[in-house]
Amino acid sequence: MEAFAAAGIHLQTHTLKIILPVGVSFYTFQALSYSIDIYRKKIEPTRDIIAFFAFVSFFPQLVAGPIERATNLLPQFYARRNFDYAKAVDGMRQILWGLFKKIVIADNCAVYVNQVFDTPQTQSSSTLLLAAIFFAFQIYGDFSGYSDIAIGTARLFGFNLMRNFNFPYFSRDIAEFWRRWHISLTTWFRDYIYIPLGGNRVSKAKVIRNTFIIFLVSGFWHGANWTFIVWGGFHALLFLPLVLLGKNRKNTNTIAENRIFPTITECFQWGITFLLVIAGWVFFRAKTIGEAVVYLAGICNTSFFEIPTGKKLIIRCFLFILLLLIMEWLNRNKQHGLEQMDKVKPIFRYVFYYMIVLAILLFAGKEQVFIYFQF
Amino acid sequence: MKKFLKKIILISLPIIVAAISIEYLLRQIPNEYAYKRHYLDKNSNKIETLILGSSHSFFGINPAFMMENTFNSSNVSQSLKYDFKILTKYQNNFKNLTTIVLPIDYFSPWQDLAAGSENWRVKNYVLYYGMKSFKLNDYSEFLSIDLQKNLTRIKDHYITGGAISYSDLGWGTAYNSSKSLDLIKTGQTAAQRHTNDIFSKENQETYTKNLAILNSILNFCNQHNIKLILITSPTYNTYRENLSKIQLNKMFETIYNFVDEHKDVTYLNYFADTDFTEQDFYDADHLNEIGAEKFSRKLAHSIDSLNKL
Repeated sequence: MEAFAAAGIHLQTHTLKIILPVGVSFYTFQALSYSIDIYRKKIEPTRDIIAFFAFVSFFPQLVAGPIERATNLLPQFYARRNFDYAKAVDGMRQILWGLFKKIVIADNCAVYVNQVFDTPQTQSSSTLLLAAIFFAFQIYGDFSGYSDIAIGTARLFGFNLMRNFNFPYFSRDIAEFWRRWHISLTTWFRDYIYIPLGGNRVSKAKVIRNTFIIFLVSGFWHGANWTFIVWGGFHALLFLPLVLLGKNRKNTNTIAENRIFPTITECFQWGITFLLVIAGWVFFRAKTIGEAVVYLAGICNTSFFEIPTGKKLIIRCFLFILLLLIMEWLNRNKQHGLEQMDKVKPIFRYVFYYMIVLAILLFAGKEQVFIYFQF
Repeated sequence: MKKFLKKIILISLPIIVAAISIEYLLRQIPNEYAYKRHYLDKNSNKIETLILGSSHSFFGINPAFMMENTFNSSNVSQSLKYDFKILTKYQNNFKNLTTIVLPIDYFSPWQDLAAGSENWRVKNYVLYYGMKSFKLNDYSEFLSIDLQKNLTRIKDHYITGGAISYSDLGWGTAYNSSKSLDLIKTGQTAAQRHTNDIFSKENQETYTKNLAILNSILNFCNQHNIKLILITSPTYNTYRENLSKIQLNKMFETIYNFVDEHKDVTYLNYFADTDFTEQDFYDADHLNEIGAEKFSRKLAHSIDSLNKL
């Protein structure tokens, strides 16, 4: 509304909701990919108008993705779908896991995060750091939780949607993080912006330009606020050394592959990557750049060793995040955190499902709108 | 498909049974809404003075110290819309009603129970007063409050044996002087909670709606030959000091304009009444049982004087 007002157009809230309905940036990109793929002769234009509109407005992923490609989703509307028991059961598991991530992890973390981010000046360094870590899990639980619900729902109807998150917080460098975070948007930018600009098969100057363009556009996609631009620019700076040194595809396998625990080197790489991602999230969450700088400066002071405030909520969030990390670690080669549950004895499996349901009912955080509904 | 549906039903069954049991247990717990509905169903034809409003009157006006046949049908966060709904629900039964006491406090002109953070209370009017709602959650105790709170309510009633917190005449007994809260802290938090951006579109719309409801209440009173008395409840200075002057002035301006326009309406302002001291307050904007007695007697005396005029 402020952007429109700056251009001399004064809009009412409900007018803006009609012009920019929820999820507009998701299905615009989906429709764009269809047009571009036809232009590039990757697909034939469809003559089935129902299939086309169903592709653009497929209800599970309409408001917050995954941003589907016509090459993947459109043909699924043509084919006859038969009920697949295994697929439906796995879909239900993924929905359950998505609900847990959103209602228990994200909404509980949000309570703590909102309190701290509203008054960063009065908080100790340790509280600020903890809130930044919790925000990392809030945004992950919120967005990947939605994606899990969307993908799981689609699976119940026999549709396979593309994966949107691949356990991004187990990444060992920023390049790996971006291969695992919001995959449908990242690959969209890669395929329709980065590669057409030459990608990394051009001069170093152009590689730098291309990297900055893709990350700044990614930041801008989240909203017309300088905080998102700085967040994009920050990630571009982290990504650039890897691409210039040709190390951006160093970690394409899964962390601790064929092992239970990671090596010390992997732990170190994971820790550094996670801390850098958290620093970026502070810009993403803050209302202004100044607020983000104050927040980061607040983390670097002597109150770092003070016990953070809000003991009860911290313990609750910590325990649920621990459960999330354990489940996702055990399933890090799979599609979602509960995929391997079918290998568990039925009695334990059902006890676990009921525990998750109980956690959702008992420990639901204060209801929060999905963060990505605003984009 | 059949196997899948069968499994879903089997897995969901214990959850559904538990939910229905919890709903049943919750509905059996005595509460002020069910009691007041029951009382009004039976005795509305005898009531002569009816108290409406939110927590300020629920805890602050004890009909035991007022005239005979006074009943307090206020409830926590009850906004004007629900005051009016109660009136219209029993409009044909109020045969002897002569006076309605309607509190207009600092927040009242911008208050809408269904739109605020206390909107979970709407279910009480739906479940126990039989009013309608478009929200499915409002038709269930289980769905309208989170499970932890519901389990605590069940434990308090069935295991610990929690006491009933309202009197026979509808006054809220929970705010006891032995459990008084910090008046400085509660003054700040309550003022903050009650202060709105009165110029926002939503609040301006609510204000207009509430003014229309106030007019409807007055029309109701005129049609039934009932005296409408608007009051502003006593508050402690730690609350008053933290209020927005703009909102406060607008609230008083609204009342004075309304009273000026309608000569048959009386306004009694106890907002900064110096008779009420620290000992009378449970927190900075609610009276305890001592304050409630003092206020009820004072209010009864004023109503009595008005009736003699």
